[in-house]
Amino acid sequence: MRAQSQPRSPQTAPAFAYLSSRECMACLEPMLSRRQLLAASPTTLPLFLALSACKGPAVLSGPSPVTDQTTMLLHAVTTEQNLIWIYNKAAATYSSLAPVLDPLLAEHKAHLARLRGRVIEPPGRLVPGAVTARPAIGATKAAALAQLRTAEQAAIATLMSRLGGASPSLAQLYASIAASEATHVTALTRQIGS
Amino acid sequence: MAATSTPVAALQAALAAEHAAVYGYGVVGAMLTRTSRSLAYTDWRTHEIARDKVAAMLVKLGATPVAASPAYTLPFAVTDASSAKRLAAVLEDGVTRAYLGLVAVNDRSLRTFGALAMQPPASRAAAWRGSTVAFPGMPSQQG
Repeated sequence: MRAQSQPRSPQTAPAFAYLSSRECMACLEPMLSRRQLLAASPTTLPLFLALSACKGPAVLSGPSPVTDQTTMLLHAVTTEQNLIWIYNKAAATYSSLAPVLDPLLAEHKAHLARLRGRVIEPPGRLVPGAVTARPAIGATKAAALAQLRTAEQAAIATLMSRLGGASPSLAQLYASIAASEATHVTALTRQIGS
Repeated sequence: MAATSTPVAALQAALAAEHAAVYGYGVVGAMLTRTSRSLAYTDWRTHEIARDKVAAMLVKLGATPVAASPAYTLPFAVTDASSAKRLAAVLEDGVTRAYLGLVAVNDRSLRTFGALAMQPPASRAAAWRGSTVAFPGMPSQQG
C-alpha cells in the first residue's frame, strides 16, 4: 500500500525567496484585480522598479551634438544671409546702384544655396534662416559701397579663418567663395573710385 | 570638388599653371595696345614672381620643380585684342583652379597659402572677362 501523500504546508513564503521581483509580481496578479493594480501602480511601480533594479524606459535623447565643422558651416550660412540683407538694403536705398550690385547679390545667393546644401548634419531644421545683423546703410552711395566692401572683407577674413578645421572639399568651397568675395571687393573699389 | 593630393603634387600643378600663364601673357601682350598692354605686362610680371615663389617652395620640400614646356597649345586662336583678353581670363582661371587644388591638402599653412594665392588671379580673370563668377576655381566656372 502506498503511503498517502502529505498535505501541503501552508507556509509557502520561503519557497519564493529565489524568485525575481517580476516573477513575484506575476504571482501577485491573480490575487489582485486589474483595477486594483492600475490604481496602485503610480505608487507601487517605482518600488517594484527599484527592487528589480530596472532603470525604467530610456529617456528620449536630444539632438546629436553639432560638430565644430558644422558649426562653422552654419556660421558661414549666417554670414551670407547677412551679406544678402545688406546688399538688398543698399540696392533698395540707392536704386541707381542696382546694375553694379545685382550681379554681386546673385553670386551671394549662389554662395548661400551652395553652403546650405552642404549642411547635412544636423537635419535642416537647425540651418539658420534669420539675418543676425541689420546695420543702417551709409548716408551716401559712396558710403554704402564702402560699407559693402567692408562687409565683404570681413566675410573673406572669416572664411579664411575656417579653412584649417574644414574637410578638403568644404575648405575648397570656403576658399572659392572667399575668392569670389575678393572679386567683389575689387569691383566695389572700382565703383567707389569712379 | 576633388579632394586631397600631396603638397608636392599640388604645388607642382600650381607651378605648371604659372608657367603656362607666363607663356600665355606673352601672346596676350602682343595683341594689346596702350593701357591693356601695360596691364598685361604687370600681370605677366606678377606670374613670374609667383612662379619663382612656388618653385622655391618645392625646392624647400626637397622636390624638383616642374619645368616650363617649350611651347603651349593655345585653347583658341588669338588674333586680336578681344581674343587676347579672353585668353588672359582663361590663363587666370587656370591659375585660380590650380591654387584651389592646393586648398585640398591637409597642411594648414599650404591651405591658407592656396586660398590667398587664388584671390588675385580670380580678380584679374574678372577684370579681363568683364564680369565676376560665383565660384572661382571650381570646375563649372572654367571657360
